[in-house]
Amino acid sequence: MRSFWSGTITFGLVSIPVDLFAAVVPRQKSMKLVDEEGHPLGRRYWCPKHEKVLDDDELVRGYETDSGKVVVVTDEEFASAAPEKSRDIELRRFVALDDIPPFYFDRPYFLAPDERAGKAYALLAQTMAKTGKAGIGSFVMRDHEYLVAIVSDQGMLRAEVLRYVDELRTPEAVGLPKPAKPDAARVRALAREIDALAEAKVDPAELADLEAETLRAFAEKKAKSGEGVVSMAELEGDEDDAAASAQVIDLMQVLRESLGASAGKAKRAADAHAAAKKPAAKKAAATKTTAKKTRHTVGR
Amino acid sequence: MAARAIWKGQLVLGKHEVPVKMYSAVQDQAVHFHLLHDKDLTPVEQRIVRKDNGREVAKEAQRKAFPLDDQRAVILAPEELEQLEPESDRAIHLLRFVPRDALGDQWFDRPYYLGPDEKGDADYFALAEALAGKDRIGIARWVMRDKRYVGALAVGDDGYLRMTTLRRAEQVLDVPAIRPDKARTPSDAEIKLAEQLVDSITGPFAPEEWHNEYRARLHKLIEAKAKGAKLKLVAARPKEATTDLAETLRASLSQAKGSAQAKGKKVA
Repeated sequence: MRSFWSGTITFGLVSIPVDLFAAVVPRQKSMKLVDEEGHPLGRRYWCPKHEKVLDDDELVRGYETDSGKVVVVTDEEFASAAPEKSRDIELRRFVALDDIPPFYFDRPYFLAPDERAGKAYALLAQTMAKTGKAGIGSFVMRDHEYLVAIVSDQGMLRAEVLRYVDELRTPEAVGLPKPAKPDAARVRALAREIDALAEAKVDPAELADLEAETLRAFAEKKAKSGEGVVSMAELEGDEDDAAASAQVIDLMQVLRESLGASAGKAKRAADAHAAAKKPAAKKAAATKTTAKKTRHTVGR
Repeated sequence: MAARAIWKGQLVLGKHEVPVKMYSAVQDQAVHFHLLHDKDLTPVEQRIVRKDNGREVAKEAQRKAFPLDDQRAVILAPEELEQLEPESDRAIHLLRFVPRDALGDQWFDRPYYLGPDEKGDADYFALAEALAGKDRIGIARWVMRDKRYVGALAVGDDGYLRMTTLRRAEQVLDVPAIRPDKARTPSDAEIKLAEQLVDSITGPFAPEEWHNEYRARLHKLIEAKAKGAKLKLVAARPKEATTDLAETLRASLSQAKGSAQAKGKKVA
């Protein structure tokens, strides 16, 4: 299982075992780092005293106190800080989804039902969809606590990580001037401009990554000249990208096993995403599929 | 202390231009750790090295390669990348205004405040008031520091404009609509019970009621350890999945209502 986190959502006395997967991936314009000859580069930790590259298991985390003392915190101690929170997302409050300002949303994850989830997963998804509500709770993952809104989207539960209130500045802290009463005629004029631009839906083309498109067009043109072309085989091993696409495939596998009925559709989506993540020749076709599907899901 | 604006521009709606200053709305509260070499706690550095021989490569010799397909990538020179940078003109173009729910929450990326520029106070608050009366958000595009952005313009209850940058279409993963099989479909009666349970713990969104307890406990743990205290380690125990759904829901409801009858009854 390659989910980020496995645990239990609880509301009341009902508990639903779930696995957490990425719902967003890095931008396509992200490029590979190479040297002038095209040798693949990577980021490594370096000990200046021993003058050597360190592996992950040679690293520890230290906190520098105000007095300058360094306190090492072990993985077990991190885990021990809030053990119950590392297993459960207790939904202690439900709110109208529209009540949460856009400001608070940080990062979304999919929650897939564990095989043992039974009816409880669909029960929560359908109840929230019907009532337009989101469940609020918090949990600990990878030594961080996250405040989340659990929302329902087409039968799927999503955990939207929210910012804590102290992670957001207030207008006073920013130093914004006190609101001034605007001139009514100006308000009307600007309201008319808003009306003139009013549409029912978002146009997915407006959300397209123009930088990635520009880069791709230029890179393809340059490749025709043969200059600067390097072998991708050497560059493989970009762990992040590989992990993200593996996760998408895993998610579909999980859904197939734990939900049965939507298997066919899920498989196609998995293939499209896997292809979309691979910078492959199939790219054009895959991107088209993604764009088309996005049209249905820009809203909520 | 007042924050410093990170950028200045003009919101452009049709014939109108509203000058604004942009401020970051987030402040980092994370507990920061240094990465240390376990041997003697030397603070480590990050280096960019060749993957094959581990040798450090200086910043000037680092290049970026854009992947074309499975086999090939193309190295793009710094001057080529610079030439591809978009023109910056300080205009924040409003493309359209859509109902708030036309955009799913998974699109929201990073929040900024927009504040009035000295010369444009009147227009700024006029636009904020006009937008507040519409229950819509504006989709905007702009170029800031040689990078393109897409954002959602909204107004808060406090009367200030906010811009939240949006993720790109290719970043947001889609899932198929889920229709669970029969065995995993709850009955109408169960949904009704669940609705009652959800209702019983429904309230307004009150972010100030939620605190990062882990952060606080971590600080305490560090303090204790700095003083030389021996820490007791506790591991997590997984929960059992709910099997009898209707029964558990009823028990939850009674518990939510504070009924004595449900207390002590073994469920889930």
